Amino acid sequence: MNEQELHGKLSGAGVAGLGELDTTGPDPFVVVEGSGIRPVLSFLRDDPTCRMEMLHLVTGIEREDRIEVAYHVSSLEHHHSLTLKVVFPRPEAGGHDDWRPGVPSVADIYPAADWHEREQWDLLGIEFEGHPDMRRILLPDEWIGHPLRKDYSYPSEHGGIPLELDAVPMYERGPDWEREEKVRKAKKEERKAGTPLRQPPAPGSDRPHAGGQAPASSKGQRHVIEPHSGDDDDGKSGAH
Amino acid sequence: MYAVEEKNDVFTEELKLNLGPQHPSTHGVLRVELKMDGEIITASRCDIGYLHRCAEKIGENVTYLQFTPYTDRMDYLASMNNNLAWSLAVEKLIDVEAPERAQWIRVIVAELNRIASHLIAFGTYGIDIGANTPFFYAFRERESIMALLERPSGARMLYNYIRPGGVGHDVDDQWLADVLAFCDEFERRWKEYNTLLTNSHIFIKRTANIGVIPKDVALAYGCTGPVLRGSGVKWDLRRDVPYLKPYDELEFDVPVGEGTHGSLGDCWDRYWVRMREMMESIRIIRQACPRVPDGPFMDKKTSGMYKTPLKPKPGEAYVRCENPRGELGFYVVSEGGTSPIRCRTRAPSFCNLAVLDVLLPGTMIADGVAIIGSLDIVLGEVDR
Repeated sequence: MNEQELHGKLSGAGVAGLGELDTTGPDPFVVVEGSGIRPVLSFLRDDPTCRMEMLHLVTGIEREDRIEVAYHVSSLEHHHSLTLKVVFPRPEAGGHDDWRPGVPSVADIYPAADWHEREQWDLLGIEFEGHPDMRRILLPDEWIGHPLRKDYSYPSEHGGIPLELDAVPMYERGPDWEREEKVRKAKKEERKAGTPLRQPPAPGSDRPHAGGQAPASSKGQRHVIEPHSGDDDDGKSGAH
Repeated sequence: MYAVEEKNDVFTEELKLNLGPQHPSTHGVLRVELKMDGEIITASRCDIGYLHRCAEKIGENVTYLQFTPYTDRMDYLASMNNNLAWSLAVEKLIDVEAPERAQWIRVIVAELNRIASHLIAFGTYGIDIGANTPFFYAFRERESIMALLERPSGARMLYNYIRPGGVGHDVDDQWLADVLAFCDEFERRWKEYNTLLTNSHIFIKRTANIGVIPKDVALAYGCTGPVLRGSGVKWDLRRDVPYLKPYDELEFDVPVGEGTHGSLGDCWDRYWVRMREMMESIRIIRQACPRVPDGPFMDKKTSGMYKTPLKPKPGEAYVRCENPRGELGFYVVSEGGTSPIRCRTRAPSFCNLAVLDVLLPGTMIADGVAIIGSLDIVLGEVDR
């Protein structure tokens, strides 16, 4: 059966909460009311002519004016599949990051939905009412917020580790040519003044090349390895 | 004689055991919380997410073409198949079909990658059970496949070769001849594997009757691929819902579990399904290589999208492909922009792993390792 016939079958059986069939996109889908998703999926699974044995996916989709929850089911016996959608229009007030639309859980009809629903709760903040074990699945339990939301704000730290994100990522910003030019000039002048860039390793030092510049150390003294100062660009590759 | 003094602080209790996330038999960073009664598992709880890289969020921020390399990193053992599913999803959105030559090349590279992926499953499963030798044999043949796939794609593991509209580069006749030569060699090697591991008495004792997944449980949990076929369900998208034209014209069998050494759907059945699938892939490649037609390898309409980002019409597409681990699905929702507003992945390993919490209780801890190995999960795909 194709989607049209399946929709006809569903409406013929008088399943509550069934909406219209949308065929505008490449994949048609059936809109279902939130309370109707359980009877519709039970019918599709148990009816011998539908026999949708397998739930593939539970997906939350956030759009500007609504949040949708899509269910993909398919039948191995009859080689047909169907997409069902529950739509939640965004409320006028408070429809932001803290808005949690709720839909009945189908984890008892399809055990496969268990993990999918947990993932959608974890990443998108959709509540599945009556889920047997609702915990975060991918993110740590103590995580705040739902990262797949469009207005999700990235945390500045997690567990004491700072997560400073550049406003413009490095790969878009590109190298800072002005700064590189300054560094190159400074090195050139330094060389003209006669200061050697790299001091020769001190005799007797067991790690002559550690850290670039190892200070001369006498016996019994602790090695103090100075941090690497600047890059070792000698100007040859400065032109890029 | 010694009198044993009675002590009140000696008692037995339930032991909580953490298997992973750093454990060689969990095939990555999977953590399983086990409750043990002696050696018997009484309850298990999977903890995933250690490799979560938010691929779906990345998908919403890059263009359709830019997301192709990210799909490589999901199931990194079967990158070609991931590229294929993503490309088909994008092609469905923009209503483009790859040229015929590209379709045949896609079949060959996808099947080669399937063999390479099953070789890893075979080799690492041996290690899980305690047989170290098969691993080296498996990697020897995998090396040949990687060398073959490197020639058109330029990469050994993360190919980014199959792209929306066709394939990245053309293949030549010499490559096709070399692929056929590999098929001949592989057939001989495959027989070695069976003497090494498949028919080994110890291996059968360790896997037969262990981790039995009944057919209805496999279906209810959405298991696909060798896990579903191991339970005796003859379901293969390549045969039942062909997503590439050549699969319609090619002849191949769908191996299913038969309960040869024990109950239907045990670890040995899943293993044996994978082994026979390798030979079916060889059969497909043998038929496909001489039939690769001449012509373009990239669709002309889509070649423009390499200069300006693609903007599909608003709509959504869900495409399923038969990956080595099961059905990989991409659900792409477009609102007309240069990047999708939702880019959902149905990862086969994710669904196959969900059944583990049902399988483990009641088994011995050593069998638990055999069960995890037989599911053949890739954590890059579970966590995405």
